[in-house]
Amino acid sequence: MTQLTIAIAKGRLQAGTLELLANSGLCDTRDALSSRRLAIEDESGRFRFIFVKPMDVPVYVEHGIADCGVVGRDVLMESDADLLQPLTLGIGRCRIVVAAPAGMPGRGSGMLRVATKYPHIAAAYFGAHGQPVEVIELSGSVELAPLLGLADCIVDLVETGRTLHDNGLSIIEVIAESSGRLVVNRASYQLKPKAVGALIAALEAATREGDLQSD
Amino acid sequence: MSEPLSKIPNGLRYYSGHEARLRRVIEETAMSVFEGWSYEEVITPTLDYYSLFERGMGPSEAHHAFRFTDTDGRLLALRPDVTSGIARVTATLFANRPRPLRLCYAAPVFRQQGQSTIEWRRESTQIGCELVGQNSAASDIEVLAIACEVLRRLHLDRGYVITLNDVEVFNGVAESLGFDSGARDQLRQLEDGRNVADVEAFLTSRASVEDVRAISQLIRLSGKLETLDSARGLIKNARSSAALDRLENLWRIIESLALTDHFEIDLGDVSRLDYYTGLTFKIYIEGAGARVGSGGRYDNLTANFGKSEPAVGFVLDLDALAGLLLAGNNGAMLTAQPERKAQCVVDNDLSALFREAIERRARGERVVIGSGEVTP
Repeated sequence: MTQLTIAIAKGRLQAGTLELLANSGLCDTRDALSSRRLAIEDESGRFRFIFVKPMDVPVYVEHGIADCGVVGRDVLMESDADLLQPLTLGIGRCRIVVAAPAGMPGRGSGMLRVATKYPHIAAAYFGAHGQPVEVIELSGSVELAPLLGLADCIVDLVETGRTLHDNGLSIIEVIAESSGRLVVNRASYQLKPKAVGALIAALEAATREGDLQSD
Repeated sequence: MSEPLSKIPNGLRYYSGHEARLRRVIEETAMSVFEGWSYEEVITPTLDYYSLFERGMGPSEAHHAFRFTDTDGRLLALRPDVTSGIARVTATLFANRPRPLRLCYAAPVFRQQGQSTIEWRRESTQIGCELVGQNSAASDIEVLAIACEVLRRLHLDRGYVITLNDVEVFNGVAESLGFDSGARDQLRQLEDGRNVADVEAFLTSRASVEDVRAISQLIRLSGKLETLDSARGLIKNARSSAALDRLENLWRIIESLALTDHFEIDLGDVSRLDYYTGLTFKIYIEGAGARVGSGGRYDNLTANFGKSEPAVGFVLDLDALAGLLLAGNNGAMLTAQPERKAQCVVDNDLSALFREAIERRARGERVVIGSGEVTP
């Protein structure tokens, strides 16, 4: 029997991913929900789940240590990893945006300083628009940067917009919509076609069902 | 502060002992298979004009090369691939040789950065062969058969899969939609990631509902012969249909050779369409997280060098093969021969010592010159 190793992004997407897997009828994920272990095999032995930081999901999958993974599109855009992305799962929907305090001069007004956890996305976006930027990479609390004068604006992930609002920032531009994606290692897709195909089909059905319920 | 002497540049490394022997055995095994199919070895220059690689690989691939200026100011590059050099030699030095040409090589190539985020090596060794001047199903099958034999002789024949596609399937679809090269390449990139939602979003404003549905199904089509029948139900244009027929003919022969276990048709594989003109294939082996080889037909390549003729070939990644063989125990099988026991030769009289050593060597024994008392 072919076992698939699935890397799951810890944090924002974790609960949604496990729920989707349970709804797909492929496996029982109750253990995974309650345990703090970082690697868990499901009862049937068909799946092994590993829980890693979102930015590490593409790394495990591209190396083929994990056959598949679930991670946000934002992380994939930032990582540049060469992966298959057969499914958009519709969990953890959010937007990658440019946000700034009111009255901040916009694009086209000289050099902009951009604080972000997503230096590649920020550089690619402003680069494509011909806007010169100084990208300042931070690892968290990015919203502080414009308030304290470290940057003119930020590029960040926004779910509800509450944090932005509370810190006096508003969305200027939307770079991309993001939600959880199933990613697959290129070799696993060819070498374990049945197991991977079954996973894609089951998750696709579960995603469609979820969409119907939420509509 | 001075750097430690032990420091070597990123992406480069030493090989020694078992691993170095294994690499040589892999190279020799592959080259002996090529030789067995009457392929002639070509050794291309390690340094060449940068413009050669721009012509051969296209500017976007070539710019990964390490570049220097020659004494006359012209731009040189450490070769980032071997095929460009081979294409030039077929169009120039070998222009008047009778066709087909069967050429092979094993050589290191250099890139400033790996091709993907997981490829850390900047020097890697490519082993490959090219069949030039013959456009027939026979030449496509010939190179596939050679690839299978190399893997078999390396004892890697249990878990490998070669995926087949024909770029004309995609080109026919893009043409029937009236796409310019920009839209074509965007669609190709999205297809390459196999994301149905992305492809549908991209196509919605550019194609009819039926076309969108057909293409989003096409990108997930992979499997055996039945894949082609499913594809025929989805796409009707003449260009794609001709490609599907070619794939079917190829598959029938693979079937007759009892090799279908090792082959899959994968109509969603659309990487590097600018380069290939017909059949494309990729080689995957269980245990390797990325492909270990790839190849296909590139009839336009030699045209860049002034002599347009059909060509088909493939390249294997020595580093990936060595990695697999080191991880399994097949590697030991391949290198068992050189590990035979050495005869220690010791004598205080150096003339006698070396007389004996030379005699033993003449008998083909492995010797090690002792230091006097110590026997290793």
